[in-house]
Amino acid sequence: MATLVLDNGAGSVKIGFSNEKEPRIIPNCVSKAKNVRTRIFIGDQIDECKDLSGLYYMLPFQKGYLVNWDIERQVWDHMFGKDCLQVDFNETTAIVTEPHFNFPSVQESMNEVFFEEYQFKALHRTNASALSQYKWEKESNDKHLCTLVVDSGYSFTHIIPYFKGRKIKEGIKRINVGGKILTNHLKEIISYRQLMVMDETYVVNQVKEDVSYVSLDFNEDMNIARKRGKENTIARDYVLPDYTHIKRGYVRPTDQTTGKAQGNEQIIRMNNERFAVPEILFHPSDVGISEMGITESIAHCVQGLDEEMQPHQLGNILLTGGNCHLQGFKDRVYKDVRCLTDEDIDVNVSVPDSPSTYAWEGGCLLAKDANFHKKMVVTRQEYEEQGHSICEETFDV
Amino acid sequence: MISITGRIKESQQKRVLDEAARKRRQRKALEALESDNFQDDPHADLKMSKKAPKFEESINEGSMNVKKKRKSKGEFKQRYRKNFASLLEEEQLQNKDPPNYFSAAVPPSSLPPRHFCAVCGYPFYFIQFSCGARYCCVRCLGTHQDTR
Repeated sequence: MATLVLDNGAGSVKIGFSNEKEPRIIPNCVSKAKNVRTRIFIGDQIDECKDLSGLYYMLPFQKGYLVNWDIERQVWDHMFGKDCLQVDFNETTAIVTEPHFNFPSVQESMNEVFFEEYQFKALHRTNASALSQYKWEKESNDKHLCTLVVDSGYSFTHIIPYFKGRKIKEGIKRINVGGKILTNHLKEIISYRQLMVMDETYVVNQVKEDVSYVSLDFNEDMNIARKRGKENTIARDYVLPDYTHIKRGYVRPTDQTTGKAQGNEQIIRMNNERFAVPEILFHPSDVGISEMGITESIAHCVQGLDEEMQPHQLGNILLTGGNCHLQGFKDRVYKDVRCLTDEDIDVNVSVPDSPSTYAWEGGCLLAKDANFHKKMVVTRQEYEEQGHSICEETFDV
Repeated sequence: MISITGRIKESQQKRVLDEAARKRRQRKALEALESDNFQDDPHADLKMSKKAPKFEESINEGSMNVKKKRKSKGEFKQRYRKNFASLLEEEQLQNKDPPNYFSAAVPPSSLPPRHFCAVCGYPFYFIQFSCGARYCCVRCLGTHQDTR
């Protein structure tokens, strides 16, 4: 019997059967291209589109929560269907993730869609952080009492303390900053300072992923970015794609970085933008969001827990989610948390090799757990007999 | 004499934004950061022609099947069409004890906010401008006055 693991992120879906090595990473959206008026692109169909300029997105998620079911079901239909995974619903158990503090009505529609529309054999709903924590605990050599999971994704960042494999609900903290805001902010500042790119979410997101990094010394980097010529080791020229000759944007090698475009190409000069944008994760107040940043929130979260537990949490911080791909992210978290804690407490920060698919991998591991099929799933039969209440009892979300 | 009246005129044109207006601008800026798209739907002006052949439904599929699917979809839409705001409102009305969505939000930072030049993004050194934006040098002030 097959188990399908679906880490349903607001930005991208990580999906695959539990016996597979890697998930497919599929954008969780339906997009429309400016120059292709005959069709829409569902999820990863966007790979078939040759001109990715001015893409228009329709997203199923709003502020991290599933609200647009029509769009979501189009994406799911495509993924489950014959072009992608060819799911045999009657014989398949699904593990599906949802955000923390998901709203009851969203959870109910989730049950309905999976049992009544797709008719899966059984379902397990959980949080991505629970799967990450499970994998981390199973695979680490020394046993930890606590894990502090930081999940920084597309819509927001959550900090979730775990104690002996169970999450401490009272301790969960949410910062409303994620990858989407970073990309949108980068779009705004490039558009104001250099070139109008407000329509180019797709391209600017690639710019962000290619050249931005988390600064370890913000003020010093600002000083370097002010310098001219060779002394400025931060500035980069980013060559934009034109989708005729250049299919994808790229960073020009540092020795050819002049700040001038060659030939017909268009470039963006990335200077303080490279680190000032990811800085929003650590200082949301830089763009006027009056919230704590990631490291301050970690300290705030830990201080709210039992005093005995605090060193155990700080000694085992696990970073997951797409923003962990930012260069320097882990070192910065370590550096700042180190500064905020007493000297005699050990601080350990880890990032898995693939922070964005880590929860999916955890789901695959969970599917092999002896208890999983016995205790953690709700079968379709049970759902048909007892409805939403059995789901509420069984799933710890 | 002429120059003085000119200056008065100029100062009258330079509207100083009050606190409320600044807050409004701030809120708008935050909403913009959350938006999915800046541009309008590029297919919005597409007209669906009834004459156009439909490729979606294959002939082999039983007509019963299609009907059933459509109906359930219709019902589903009505029950679960809720946007984020109404979901929040629902959550608030249920008045659950913490922990919940609202209690999970982190409080404002205890650190003072940092300020950057609204034009070039470097830490600011100079005075507050009449609209609340900051700038770092005369050049940026000029750009600011020209563009924002």
